[in-house]
Amino acid sequence: MSRLQEVAAQRVAMDTIVNLTSVFEGIASMRISQTKNQVQQSQQFFSELWNIYSQLRVDKLFHYGRTESEKVIDKQLFIVITSEGGFSGDIDQKLIKTMLADFNAEKQDIIVIGHHGAIQLIQAGVSFKKYFTLPSKDRNINVLPLIKEARSYKDTVVYYQTYVSLMVQDVKKIDLFNAVQEEAKGVAGKEEEIISERNYIFEPSTFEVVAHLERSMMQIALSQVILESKLAQYASRFRAMSMAKDRANQLHDSLSMLYNRTKRRTQDERLKEMINGLRKTRVA
Amino acid sequence: MIEEKTESAKVIEEAKQKQVEAASTTPTMHIKVYSPFKVYFDEIGESISAINATGPFDILPRHHNFMTLLSPCEIIIRSFKREEKIRISGGLMHVKADRVTVFLDI
Repeated sequence: MSRLQEVAAQRVAMDTIVNLTSVFEGIASMRISQTKNQVQQSQQFFSELWNIYSQLRVDKLFHYGRTESEKVIDKQLFIVITSEGGFSGDIDQKLIKTMLADFNAEKQDIIVIGHHGAIQLIQAGVSFKKYFTLPSKDRNINVLPLIKEARSYKDTVVYYQTYVSLMVQDVKKIDLFNAVQEEAKGVAGKEEEIISERNYIFEPSTFEVVAHLERSMMQIALSQVILESKLAQYASRFRAMSMAKDRANQLHDSLSMLYNRTKRRTQDERLKEMINGLRKTRVA
Repeated sequence: MIEEKTESAKVIEEAKQKQVEAASTTPTMHIKVYSPFKVYFDEIGESISAINATGPFDILPRHHNFMTLLSPCEIIIRSFKREEKIRISGGLMHVKADRVTVFLDI
């Protein structure tokens, strides 16, 4: 009897896990559709802005919005974008592993975004220069502190997660300068007339407009990468929750079977006892 | 009843025709005001007013190619007797071939 109660309690607990994983799966799915839409919207904005910028300047002159007097650290900066917490599958481990394969403490510094990544680096015994929390909101992400850091280094590589499909997420690394170029590929082919002081009026001045645009391009490119990472993390969470739900469902089914068998066995035992009791009374 | 209906349909059609004629005679331009995640205005308009470092200014159709950094202000867009106001904290305005694009939050 006590065994039957035990199995019943386990089945109820498994039921709760199935419900919980379903809720997490639903939340992740909702966040995916929201973020996916935002990534697309943001890409369109970036493309149009880049189209204007590319007519103003050629790629080679892109200088991270630095002024000539600014000192540059002769090292490479790695920015690694991970998730804030658990329930995000194995994608953070994959990302850290990829980054550490390229890492040399003498040549590179690390800035980590996301608590999960910071913990994994500490566990691996790798020190990092700074840690930022992953922005909880998906809009108007403030990347200025990161841009400030990136500007002080000669080169910046960003390690991030990309969304391939709902069940497939990948790890990517990209040069922050190339991030701008990559995003601009779709529009770079167009042959438009060059924007210069000859055919345009600039206010307050050409230099100020271009410098502002340059800084903006960096910020938008970095925001895009963070947003894409978040999308991949939501998808990874969805995948993990989906798998957990399937596993919990399987366990629930086997517990149900065990419960029914135990119940049947208990009933059979009682029946046997009753029959034996009846036999004994007849013999007596 | 049917005659009444056709009469009213005629009036509506005439009014529409007049509106189209008026629109075709008034010079217009395409105005788009948007940020990475939101489109505030994306229609045909007659003028747009804003403020930059040199002061308030208006853009009308057939304006010369123009690029400016906007100061915090209220953008006013006028389109066919309608006026739209959008409060901004800054942005970039690009004017080219009767197309005005205002990029916000940059």
